[in-house]
Amino acid sequence: MSTLKTPTKPDTESPSGAALAIAQTRLTEDWLAVWIGLFIFLLSLASLLGTDLLGWSITTAVWTSPSKALAPASKLYATLPWSFSLAATYVFLLAILLVAAKFLGADLKRFALGITGMFALSYACWFLGSWAYIAATPDKRPALKIPWSLSLTNESGFIIALVVGLLIGNLLPDVSRALKEAIRPELYIKTAIVILGGFLGIAALEQRQLATSVILRGVCAIIEAYLIYWPIVYFVSRRYFGFSREWAAPLASGISICGVSAAIATGSAIRARPVVPIMVSSLVVVFAVLELMVLPFAAQHYLSGQPMVAAAWMGLAVKTDGAAVASGAITDSLIRAKAAASGVVFQPGWILGVSTTVKVFIDVFIGVWAFILAWIWSSKIERRQGDQVQFVEIWQRFPKFILGYVATFLIVVAIGIAAPSLTPKIKAAMGQANVFRSIFFLMTFFAIGVMSNFRRLWQEGFAKLAAVYVLCLFGYIIWVGLLISWLFFHGVFPPIVKG
Amino acid sequence: MTEELERMKTEYEPLLPVERKLIWCTFATGVVLLALFVLISRVLT
Repeated sequence: MSTLKTPTKPDTESPSGAALAIAQTRLTEDWLAVWIGLFIFLLSLASLLGTDLLGWSITTAVWTSPSKALAPASKLYATLPWSFSLAATYVFLLAILLVAAKFLGADLKRFALGITGMFALSYACWFLGSWAYIAATPDKRPALKIPWSLSLTNESGFIIALVVGLLIGNLLPDVSRALKEAIRPELYIKTAIVILGGFLGIAALEQRQLATSVILRGVCAIIEAYLIYWPIVYFVSRRYFGFSREWAAPLASGISICGVSAAIATGSAIRARPVVPIMVSSLVVVFAVLELMVLPFAAQHYLSGQPMVAAAWMGLAVKTDGAAVASGAITDSLIRAKAAASGVVFQPGWILGVSTTVKVFIDVFIGVWAFILAWIWSSKIERRQGDQVQFVEIWQRFPKFILGYVATFLIVVAIGIAAPSLTPKIKAAMGQANVFRSIFFLMTFFAIGVMSNFRRLWQEGFAKLAAVYVLCLFGYIIWVGLLISWLFFHGVFPPIVKG
Repeated sequence: MTEELERMKTEYEPLLPVERKLIWCTFATGVVLLALFVLISRVLT
């Protein structure tokens, strides 16, 4: 197979042009996510040199009185009015995202309008989700002087943002169109994952043995996901649903590996027409939302005694990076809330960390899997003279944002090992970067909601694709994912916060 | 999309021997590795 060549300006009106545009955008978004994430990460690290560059950013505490909810992240800026802090956070985000939009070739005016609407609506959801009656865990109720609460933690703001996004995407097409230019969940989640690397680096520094164990188990679990999921989904769609090879391979990758990225990589590897991975991708996005809305709550109900099993399950079962990491975040908050009710306080971030680690490892292998499929297709199934699969294609399909995630993780671990006395300061710095990680998460949830058009499921021809998806996802993948998560992660627990 | 699916009904591509081999070899490798990895993780912990 020849090296993938992409024209500079694809014709987005044709299916092939649209697919190329998606592929190009994804590549660019990957690198942009790395640079934006690293930029915020490095700004936060400036506090190690005694310069607080991000402390003005806005945070929302669990509140009973709205006037006391919002405040700057750092005590150094405590005198700053919350309205100024909120406006500064918005302007900062708008500025860096406009630079990104320029690189993506977006319409800057429409993008700015979209970001403004998204930020306003999603932050309002975050604010509402932090209301004590929704967010407070049972151990916090006495301090807040409230008799009851839903115990959803302030990350319930993510769910509210998702629901508001879904309502807009499905019921308010004019608003959805106005926001469209800024609806880029992959860019937001990848940026959040790059920042998350530093946050998880702190967790790894504090619990090195546990972190190593989690990484090794994660690698084992994802190899299984490729080898056990993919062949069965491929077989079912070929044998029982009569799909052609061109449709079955991207469909199997989309359902079993990592949604959109895997469907596009596989489609390209087997030389499917571009419309095939596009159709599969739109199906993946819709079902990922369904999983995101159901699985974290199922995990809280049935797996609260095995938090790391629940975490790995989110990474293995929920498709697309955005929905998987978002599910990890919700599962983290829901399980910690339930544990807190029984007097056990788990350190935050570990459940999210396991979901993210599993998902990131899955992403790493997409290029390898596409390479293997390309070799099998070109040499055994559809023999093409002169086609040679090149190793460079593994790099071309490698999700580049993972480099940013690994970099922030390793930088934090390296600084912590070289100068252990700096660990508390790094922790505070990551806390500031985490403000932006939460906002990027929030915008991801909102954007996923807006772009999930459920009416598409009722379109002609989509039902058969959806049938394979439902059968394989809910009849096989979710349960095998749970089994694999159980085998590798049961008996592993997040550290418990003492006192 | 509808036309495409109709065409697939009439022009069904049977599973080639190499596809069957890909499916079962991949699955069998997965199951064997699963047992091996579980064993290793038990021994290491």
